[in-house]
Amino acid sequence: MGDREPPSISEDEFARLCDFFYRRTGMIFTEAKRYYIERRVFERMLVTGSATFAQYFARVRMDLDREIEEIVNALTVNETYFYREDHQFHCLTTDLLRLRVAQKAPGETIRIWSVPCSTGEESYSIAMWLLENWPEVDKHDIEILGSDIDTRALAAAREGVYGARALSRLTPDLIERYFEKVGEETWQAAQELRESVAFSPVNLIVNAETRAQGVFDVIFCRNVLIYFNDESRRVAAENLFESLKPGGFICLGHTESMSRISPLFEVRRYADAIVYQKPLEARRG
Amino acid sequence: MPLIRRDSPGASPPRPEGDTIAQLSDANPDTRWKAARVLGKHADAVPALATALQVETSSQVREAIFTSLLLIRSDASARAAAEFVRSEDAALRSGALDALAAMPEVVERILPGLLQDPDSDVRILSCDLARTMPGEVATRLLSGLLQAEAEPNVCGAAVEVLAEVGTAEAIAPLRACKARFPGEAFLGFAIDDAIERAGAGRLDMNG
Repeated sequence: MGDREPPSISEDEFARLCDFFYRRTGMIFTEAKRYYIERRVFERMLVTGSATFAQYFARVRMDLDREIEEIVNALTVNETYFYREDHQFHCLTTDLLRLRVAQKAPGETIRIWSVPCSTGEESYSIAMWLLENWPEVDKHDIEILGSDIDTRALAAAREGVYGARALSRLTPDLIERYFEKVGEETWQAAQELRESVAFSPVNLIVNAETRAQGVFDVIFCRNVLIYFNDESRRVAAENLFESLKPGGFICLGHTESMSRISPLFEVRRYADAIVYQKPLEARRG
Repeated sequence: MPLIRRDSPGASPPRPEGDTIAQLSDANPDTRWKAARVLGKHADAVPALATALQVETSSQVREAIFTSLLLIRSDASARAAAEFVRSEDAALRSGALDALAAMPEVVERILPGLLQDPDSDVRILSCDLARTMPGEVATRLLSGLLQAEAEPNVCGAAVEVLAEVGTAEAIAPLRACKARFPGEAFLGFAIDDAIERAGAGRLDMNG
């Protein structure tokens, strides 16, 4: 099969695949992405030994050997980097923090959770973004926590050493001020930046672990829920709901939709991003 | 730098569970929410969860109860959730269907009963539960329905699911269904489409 040309996927099959991904993950693929999708599907067919698209699609539908996770990985960009999806950071400093501060007592700490934080790029990005872009940053105590299930990733996050690709969206000025060059192509987050973020291990579907982190004003939980099965996604959504203060916000990845996972949150549309809010008061059915 | 770091506390000890069932009827919705979530670990809590769901007014607590029924994942919890498929309350119907759709291996055992429910609306909604099942299982269950179902709208719901997940074994029951409803043009069109898709699937599966 390795020498085979990629099989052509019929319009009907493509439509079924797109329908499936939309229902399962919220990701929308259009005809414009067809070539890209076919390539990724063909690669997975080779790996799984699927002779036909129908065989492969049956494998995906059954989630044999976690094939949904594999194909989602193949269809999404998993690489993380500083200032990724920074439109949500714009939204954070333009709208979300203003709204949260209005609800808080004077002097009350603002808590922001980056989960999963992987190797720390998002957590440090939030710290840098606030320092650079929020005029009120000096008026408040702000606590940033990065959490992940992978303790090796957390160790790397604490060390804060990154290659050029991870820093590629940062201006030379930002790199100069927040990083120290420690190798030919590696930089370490400055000690002050590293000390501004705490890291902790957490499994999003274990309530005791999420509860132990306390409650937050804003949670960044991007590009992880799409990998969970329905049951785990619901549990994670409920844990995240508990982890938010009333009126707190959660930001998901751009392909994700909380509305497709749980009715607990309210959709909020701002100029820079769509986010989800925990209602200020319990809703009646 | 105004950012402060506070290291995370350790995990909290397990909660006491002695009066958790009683807390399902507490006046405070936060207490009911927490009780509902804890009871997802207790298979014997199904009757209490089902009873609470009948009177629960908070949409958040309802969601937690449905999730707990899903986590218990038994025939009893699936049947308890399925009772709300016939609810007049659209949010309860939707919550029940979402929970049931997430446990297809359990629902497979109770779906034959739902597909024979006296209420045609229940039968229509139940057809969609087969969508998350293996193609051959969905085909078996929905083909059985197509052979005897008198309501064209229920058949239409089954045909829609078979068009997506049906195997070639659905073709004969689909044809027979079309013959039973010669005056239902839309159903005939939907069946032709489903047959085409199921037929294509068979050819591909055989390589």
